[in-house]
Amino acid sequence: MKIETAAGMLLAALAVAVLSLPAMAKPYELTVDYVEIDTGDTKTTGIGYNGSSPGPTLRFREGEEAEITVTNNLDETTSIHWHGQILPYQMDGVPGISFPGIAPGETFTYRFPVRQNGTYWFHSHSGFQEPDGAYGSIIIEPEKREPFRFDREYVVVLKDKHPHSGARIMRNLKMMPDYYNRQQRTLGTLMDDVAKDGLSATLSDRKDWGNMRMTPTDIEDVQGFTGLINGMSPEQNWTGLFKPDERVRLRFINASAMTYFDVRIPGLEMTVVQADGNNVQPVTVDEFRIAVAETYDVIVQPKEDRAYAIMAESMGRSGYAFASLAPREGMRAEMPEPRTDGPLLTMADMGMSHDNMPGMDHGAMDMTSQPEMAGMDHSNMPGMDHSAMNMGAKPADPFYASGSGLIPKAVNGGKFLSYADLKAQKPRYPERPAMREIELRLTGNMERYVWSINGIKYEDADPIRLQYGERVRFTFINETMMAHPMHLHGMWSMLDNGNGKWNPVKHTINVNPGTTVSFETEVDEPGEWAFHCHLSYHMASGMFRKVIVEGGPETALNTNANGN
Amino acid sequence: MPSFKSYLAKILTVAALSGGTVLVSPITAHADAGHNSVVHGANIGKLGNISDVRKTVEIVMQDNFYEPEKVVVLGGETVRFVIRNEGEFVHEFNIGTVAMHATHQKEMAMMVEHGALEADKINMHMMEMDMGNGMTMKHDDPNSVLLEPGKTAEIIWTFPENAELEFACNVPGHYESGMMGQVKFQ
Repeated sequence: MKIETAAGMLLAALAVAVLSLPAMAKPYELTVDYVEIDTGDTKTTGIGYNGSSPGPTLRFREGEEAEITVTNNLDETTSIHWHGQILPYQMDGVPGISFPGIAPGETFTYRFPVRQNGTYWFHSHSGFQEPDGAYGSIIIEPEKREPFRFDREYVVVLKDKHPHSGARIMRNLKMMPDYYNRQQRTLGTLMDDVAKDGLSATLSDRKDWGNMRMTPTDIEDVQGFTGLINGMSPEQNWTGLFKPDERVRLRFINASAMTYFDVRIPGLEMTVVQADGNNVQPVTVDEFRIAVAETYDVIVQPKEDRAYAIMAESMGRSGYAFASLAPREGMRAEMPEPRTDGPLLTMADMGMSHDNMPGMDHGAMDMTSQPEMAGMDHSNMPGMDHSAMNMGAKPADPFYASGSGLIPKAVNGGKFLSYADLKAQKPRYPERPAMREIELRLTGNMERYVWSINGIKYEDADPIRLQYGERVRFTFINETMMAHPMHLHGMWSMLDNGNGKWNPVKHTINVNPGTTVSFETEVDEPGEWAFHCHLSYHMASGMFRKVIVEGGPETALNTNANGN
Repeated sequence: MPSFKSYLAKILTVAALSGGTVLVSPITAHADAGHNSVVHGANIGKLGNISDVRKTVEIVMQDNFYEPEKVVVLGGETVRFVIRNEGEFVHEFNIGTVAMHATHQKEMAMMVEHGALEADKINMHMMEMDMGNGMTMKHDDPNSVLLEPGKTAEIIWTFPENAELEFACNVPGHYESGMMGQVKFQ
């Protein structure tokens, strides 16, 4: 009896010991391989995982210990970055910052505690392997139930697959920055504009743009891609099945190198429930724009027994991705006609109208009654879409420059998601004022295809030093004419969108041309981290910083080191 | 799309006609779903008497879901619902058909747009504001209750013999993302 009791106690003690250890997730093994990528039109050699691009979807459960063994079968160094994961910095996968990288033929084991849930992705952080196909998705199930309900779910990974390799694209851009801009204005468009606006106005317009060494079509600097959804081209028609009336969760991930997509499902409203892996207060929209590296989870409820189109047109309208949601296999949704009215940048996107013309009421300006258009200097703002500036009922999206040519509109005239709509479902941190502000000007020289921060490119820049325990406010001032998706590794970015304690928690912050955007970070992870524009060729040409977090618990660093 | 004023006028007219009795609820929304079968062509039941209550069902509101998500009733039964909001956001408990909820969602979106309803509070002064005709947005519907965090309310409801009913939160985005439950007739 006594012995049994003792044995029982021992067993109980053992059980407690076992339970107190974090559960090991199912270990994953990934190989990094040269793969063939077939879009139907082109067959190219790219890079993938376990023999395919995109790589597999990795599933974890919050609270587990992840273990992923990565074997490099390439003849160059590789790496995997777990985008959006909060983890020890040695596991973050950035060669030269987190670790030396994984040499050809070698194997590296990533181990980290899974401390969050939601939709994320992973990709190579070496060279141009990510544009060449080295990406995959991550789903982390929460410990507690989700604040929403769905009957089935799909990952929807967007990719701008280009027939040229990333290295070749970079060479071409360096040689000729508009190499891939197929929407250049021609003599034909010049004549059209002369007919429309008169000769002097048109010539004045062209001169302004020329002085800035930019053109109004500089929205997408790498065109000529095929849009892929889960690795499939529009022709190949990836299809997600549903039963009518089911709630379907779609986990959108933009794994593109360079392309923002405007996503819609004609006939369905989409309720956005998560952004960048963090739940948001649900907001129902007709269309949303997803910047490179962002994720959005939406819930849709298709009620009819028919196929629905997932249509993702690029922001500059130079390409699109397409897929179907269907009640049965083998169905293809009717594809909506792609919009051909590509947006044109305006002087507002150049920052020309942004700060130096405060309080100008564009809506009230009757441009047609101005007799001397050409004499109006910049207030003329050629190419500006005045219809987009109807300030009447709907206020313009505050995350675009006033008068910007990029302000999106839903095809059906309905609700287009704005950053201003994003509110955290459950704030990650208590609200407190930032202790200091770091201003970062996003800069570039289009003529030489150099992208930089504060006019300095990565190799010439000092790291940004943060103190463990502080809360820092970062303010981006975008002085370029392109949108930049800025990604801070290792720590969350709380976008300041005016929602106070509900400011959304993100890992990638889009900054539109001619705008100023702030986010705050609780500096709670020691180590060294990357901070960069997620457009592959901007990152590679210098829009990148190293962030060093000084101080912090020694134990954290030691534990991390032991974890290697 | 009617202007907000005429929209409100319609809501208010319906509200005035409905004339439901409030029980314990601190405030009830202008629930379109709150009206009887004559108005909507669907018999959803009616306000019940406390003396007919045979069963009490507790409903806990979380962010953004109910516990439980299914309620089983007998045809013609009168049920007392005790509804407690344990979340950090405003939630609604509304008994109706899918179509009624869809109509009501549009009205709730309007309330949010005009500041009467925020994520975590109901602006009573907006609800009670005189709309110029002596009426307000505040009104009482027997089949629905709109609750701020931490609040509790009761609804006594007599179900019809059979119907396709859901209980739902029509705060914008909540129903769509799954804050609803099924009423199953035994």
